[in-house]
Amino acid sequence: MTQHDPALLSAALAGTERALNQAIALAPHSHQELDAVSGTLLGIEITTLDLNVYIEMVTGTEVRLMAHCERDTDAFVRGTLEDFAALATSEDPAATLINSGIELEGSSASLITLQQVIARMEIDWEAPLVDLLGDVAGHQIAEGLRRFFRWGEGARASLKRQVSEYLLEEGRLTPPKAELEHFYDAVQSVAMRVERAQSQVEKLLAKAAARGTSQ
Amino acid sequence: MNDEATSNADRDDATDFGFTRVDREAKAGMVRGVFDSVASRYDLMNDLMSGGVHRLWKRYTIELSAARPGQTILDIAGGTGDLAARFSRLVGPEGQVILADINAAMLEVGRDRLIDKGATGNIEVVQADAQALPFKDNSVDCITIAFGLRNVTDKTLALRSMLRVLRPGGRLLVLEFSKPTSALLGKVYDQYSFQILPAMGRLIAQDADSYRYLAESIRKHPDQETLLAMMEEAGFGECRYHNMTGGIVALHQGFKP
Repeated sequence: MTQHDPALLSAALAGTERALNQAIALAPHSHQELDAVSGTLLGIEITTLDLNVYIEMVTGTEVRLMAHCERDTDAFVRGTLEDFAALATSEDPAATLINSGIELEGSSASLITLQQVIARMEIDWEAPLVDLLGDVAGHQIAEGLRRFFRWGEGARASLKRQVSEYLLEEGRLTPPKAELEHFYDAVQSVAMRVERAQSQVEKLLAKAAARGTSQ
Repeated sequence: MNDEATSNADRDDATDFGFTRVDREAKAGMVRGVFDSVASRYDLMNDLMSGGVHRLWKRYTIELSAARPGQTILDIAGGTGDLAARFSRLVGPEGQVILADINAAMLEVGRDRLIDKGATGNIEVVQADAQALPFKDNSVDCITIAFGLRNVTDKTLALRSMLRVLRPGGRLLVLEFSKPTSALLGKVYDQYSFQILPAMGRLIAQDADSYRYLAESIRKHPDQETLLAMMEEAGFGECRYHNMTGGIVALHQGFKP
């Protein structure tokens, strides 16, 4: 009777829940902040997949994901998969949330608080490696991974900058941002003038029609 | 198997024990024999037989129960107590979970597991027959029965007993093996049930017959629509079901009006 096989969805949620709880366990500095939002229930509806997921902060160290929940949510967000993908990869989530097609019901404060806590989370990936491999080897591997991720982050930023410069300066394939904004302003100004002209024409036509009927 | 019981196959009061017709009075004892035999390795076998998927089926059952702090939950045929342990956290110290099973060996394993998990304060363990539940009328918010209804001799009687015990607005959740929705999956599932399952039972629990009974009892259990009709006939309202893993398992839900 349901469209999705609940067992498949439960498998995905159980795996994600386990990963999230392990990540939270490795971020002890966030436990107090997460504890402050415990009891918060968020609902997400992905309209393109006809899928609902509920996220509950049970305690400061435990998050629970559900496919079905009958409690009232503190905040409920609804949007397409593309909307949520854009939000997840956005550098300015608040602006993306406002400008995207995502609908928000309930308290945006609880959503923003949770987002801020997650953004501030510092996950100590070294702890499980040290537990597994000992102090020396664990620290060395963690240091190597950190260097690799820093290099990856730098390489990504550099590639993005170079591609942007090539498209703008060398290839002249895209206009500069300022030029584009100036163009949008001009278009908007023309559109407003056309609207004003249209309303004046409509007024004149109405006056002419009124004169015609009085004669 | 009890020869006297199976010799009564043609009588009106005979019932199914897997693919065999047995005397109704004898079925409960025979089912008890099966579960006495598998009790100590029941969870391990469930994990192996289902590839761990039974945990996902149960996870969704718990979500659909919408259990809240302060509620009373009755888990019938609760066996080794895996649902009861999770309900215990959800209803909290002000709520109550009743773990009921007709089989003493299964209950003993379940009680020990719950003690090991530290889930004891709000759990009561009761040996009870689902057909005649020893609880007050309108006393329970939610009843779950996971992989237990097919072993009950008179399912209609059990459903009526559950309805009596539930509070008005309370819900019943029946998680049970059912009929695969695809013919191809059905054939693969048949091969698995009658070839691989008894072999695994022989290897791990040294008891192929009990696991053959489990496979046969699944085939004799009412399919999705039949069980839905039985629940409606027993007096439940807003009845519906969710097929899981291609209909191998179905979760039926009904409310006491």
